[in-house]
Amino acid sequence: MNATILNGALAGDRFVDAVAGAIQAALQTQGWHVRPWHLADEKLAFCLGCFECWTKTPGLCRIDDAGREVAESLIQSDLAIFVTPITFGGYSSALKKAVDRVIPLISPFFQRIDGEVHHHARYARYPALFGLGVLPKSHPIQAEIFDTLISRNAINLHAPAHGSRVIARDQDPITVAGELTQILSREALA
Amino acid sequence: MSTPKKALLLIGSAKPKGESSSEALANHLTERLRTRGMTTQTWHVAMAMRTPAQTREFLQAVDQADTLVLAFPLYVDSLPYLATLALERIAAHRQTQAEPAPGSFLAIANCGFPEVAHNATAIAICKQFSEEAGYAWAGGLALGMGGAIAGRALSEVGGMAHNVIAALDLAAEAIAQGIAVPEEAITLMAKPFIPITGYMLMGDIGWLVEARRHHVLTRLGARPYQNEP
Repeated sequence: MNATILNGALAGDRFVDAVAGAIQAALQTQGWHVRPWHLADEKLAFCLGCFECWTKTPGLCRIDDAGREVAESLIQSDLAIFVTPITFGGYSSALKKAVDRVIPLISPFFQRIDGEVHHHARYARYPALFGLGVLPKSHPIQAEIFDTLISRNAINLHAPAHGSRVIARDQDPITVAGELTQILSREALA
Repeated sequence: MSTPKKALLLIGSAKPKGESSSEALANHLTERLRTRGMTTQTWHVAMAMRTPAQTREFLQAVDQADTLVLAFPLYVDSLPYLATLALERIAAHRQTQAEPAPGSFLAIANCGFPEVAHNATAIAICKQFSEEAGYAWAGGLALGMGGAIAGRALSEVGGMAHNVIAALDLAAEAIAQGIAVPEEAITLMAKPFIPITGYMLMGDIGWLVEARRHHVLTRLGARPYQNEP
């Protein structure tokens, strides 16, 4: 079983790094093959919004950098975990830069899912999605936005299952990772 | 709050100048704000975030504005990277100030899906930014079927843009008065241009036409990362 961890820690955020590292270690203990990405360190261009990955080089971003590898890593995984400091309820800029680059994984064509229009899948299977957001302290509004964002991404990225959890910075990363692996098992994400 | 005099419009699309629907929406609002006596300045987010020096210059413009407007496209259910980065920078900048200048923040989202509801999470993020950066929330205008504008000036879009223009006119009036945009503007902006089925059909035909132009019509469903048999 393969897992990809997209770590959206901003420069110097040791807590988010520690959480991502603990999750990686916990999954590896359970026999997972984990591909971690510390996104702030990657040479990763931002999405240009050109849609050439749909209409000129189908399935492939025109920018030949780590963005292609992140997309490949995700689609070849059974589980994708987004770890991020929560920014106004959403993802950090570091994570968002990578997430914007995954649209080559879906098709441009429209379909209805539960009555709402989304894009067709390009691949036969996609990873389950789990989001772990980190806040300085409890903030129910931001936590709700984050949970909704993960749910919406799960629909648009055709995740067969999804879940999310928001933690505060005063929690122990190793304990969080342990709980997370239990959640993954319980919710059939892993 | 005193009557606003200066508005800063930030285009959150990464597309080149003159090519995005976000810019078309912002340009119309700019024109209407000017007719109401406001001075405006427009920044493209790619320029504002390009170098530390340009970001500093942009943040100086933020400090001088009474109203900040962000017009952006929806990317994967939220704001694009560059717009996210800009909001992080603005909030951090204002949080270092003992008394950040009072001002209001208006968000204008547009998405390529026909339903306006896709923008809801991004608008919620913008509202949270507004609070954390110390702005008065002027509201969030959300547009579906953004692909129908396709970067054209609203005056060139035709009758389809009637409600969008009316919404932006109401928003301009509210901003100039220093109040939040009225519900009527949000409702008008949310009205679909055409029936959803028609938009889906036109969208799919558009992708096929583009693919044909690039000689990849038979490869549209390519799976370059597939590693299964």
